[in-house]
Amino acid sequence: MADELELLRRANPVPSADPRFGDRPLDQHAERRLDLLLHGGERRLDRLPHGGERRPRPRHLRRWTWGLGSVAATCVVVLTLTLMFSGSATVPAVAAPRPLVVEAGSAPVPLDRIAGRAAAAGDTLRLVQGTHLQTWSLAMTSGPGSRPPVTLPEERLVRWKADGSHTELVVATDPRRPGKPVVTDADPVPRTVEDGHVLSRRTYPPSWSDAPPVARPPHDAVRLRAYLDEIDRTGPLDAPGLLDAVAGLLDNWTLGTRENAALVRILADAEGLRPAGAVTDRLGRGGQAYVYDDRAHSVRRMLVLDPATGAVLGLEETVTRDDPEFGVKSGDVLSYRAWMR
Amino acid sequence: MSNDETFAAAYREHYWAVSRYVARRLDGRGSDVEEVVAEVFTVAWRRRSDLPPSPLPWLYGVARRCLANAVRGYGRRRRLLDRLGNDESAHGTQVVAGPGSDTPGDWVHEALARLSPADQEVLRLTAWEELAVDEVAVVLGCGSRAAAMRLHRARRRLRAEIDRLQITPVATGAATPRRDIPKEPGHG
Repeated sequence: MADELELLRRANPVPSADPRFGDRPLDQHAERRLDLLLHGGERRLDRLPHGGERRPRPRHLRRWTWGLGSVAATCVVVLTLTLMFSGSATVPAVAAPRPLVVEAGSAPVPLDRIAGRAAAAGDTLRLVQGTHLQTWSLAMTSGPGSRPPVTLPEERLVRWKADGSHTELVVATDPRRPGKPVVTDADPVPRTVEDGHVLSRRTYPPSWSDAPPVARPPHDAVRLRAYLDEIDRTGPLDAPGLLDAVAGLLDNWTLGTRENAALVRILADAEGLRPAGAVTDRLGRGGQAYVYDDRAHSVRRMLVLDPATGAVLGLEETVTRDDPEFGVKSGDVLSYRAWMR
Repeated sequence: MSNDETFAAAYREHYWAVSRYVARRLDGRGSDVEEVVAEVFTVAWRRRSDLPPSPLPWLYGVARRCLANAVRGYGRRRRLLDRLGNDESAHGTQVVAGPGSDTPGDWVHEALARLSPADQEVLRLTAWEELAVDEVAVVLGCGSRAAAMRLHRARRRLRAEIDRLQITPVATGAATPRRDIPKEPGHG
């Protein structure tokens, strides 16, 4: 009988002569990436190498999908194929969440003041690797046979262990409607499941990474800003880029008191975040809202902070312009993420 | 030669080898492969001062970790979660029952998939990437003796799984193994 290694060699799924990956001069994508690396363009590298070849889409939609795609739980599904809805009976009409409303008469609190409070909070909460968040995200379709958008609520819990492994639990649930059926697309055909239905439960083997957002975040503002800059490498760390990076950080880490203080200092120094006043988030928590109107992408982004500690409670993204292609209207909530400890 | 020039030379020389490495572990799906390979070389660029004289095993080591980290990456996370959650597709082991599936890959992949991930990787590095033991050690981040021991044990376990499946090569040229009496796991 043949040597087991010889049998395995013959079963190589991608041999050296494979036409897709066989040795040859670099293709244009590989050349472009090398050029960007060599000439200081690492920051400009698009993480989606085929971006230039995709069907052109409005810039704001690319922004939506990028921002929301950064959260595993809140994958906005922009499908160009026809989803097999089995009718309104299987996916009941659930009222889409409305945008958070700033409480009338509430006084906006400047970010500098929150930063001062956070800095004075001491060192009471420690940094924890992993995250706990509740998300509502809008699943959209386009093209022939497209269906109205549907909001998918999920709760995600990621916990790391001392050996470097981690577990991830995703549950379909909507805390605003306890005990009621929940829409999910995890099958991926949208359908309803019972509240608390486990969508996935996975254990990942030990692994390491020294790159943000998996690397441990620093707790001073200068180094944390550099860390966030490395998370969002799509361009200069402007306000929308900063909000994306913050979401990426919080999808991996539950910040401690010191990290919260550093983060809110960075937010206070960012341009374009406008204090809006007090809000109550979808988990019933009181917070202060800070709004960035991303006109280039037709999205309003609202960051909600705990006014006492500076901890980020949530991030809401709301459409500010109708887009018939995806069936969304101005005022629709694209996503809301609520981070918890 | 500056670090940048050394990196560019390594990139040009090994881009496709790294692509094959990733493709073998992602079932050859083109778009995901390109995305992970881009990440590999971005990490390698940051660490270009660490590039050894023979960079390929080192690049494979970076790729191995990028694959592990890919599930947490932006954009591709959902797709890879779905894929890596399915062990069969993740390891290129979509075994189709029936005589029509008797290609060399099917049975050997089935035997390989029964081993631990560590055993699988040391075997793949040896058989598919054609690395010597000291190169395997670089990828795995262990000593050469430890790598040799891992390979020895993994080969023995693969042999045992092949025997369990009773895979025997066809007499003419031994190019197409066949399974004489298929057994289900736990039945024999």
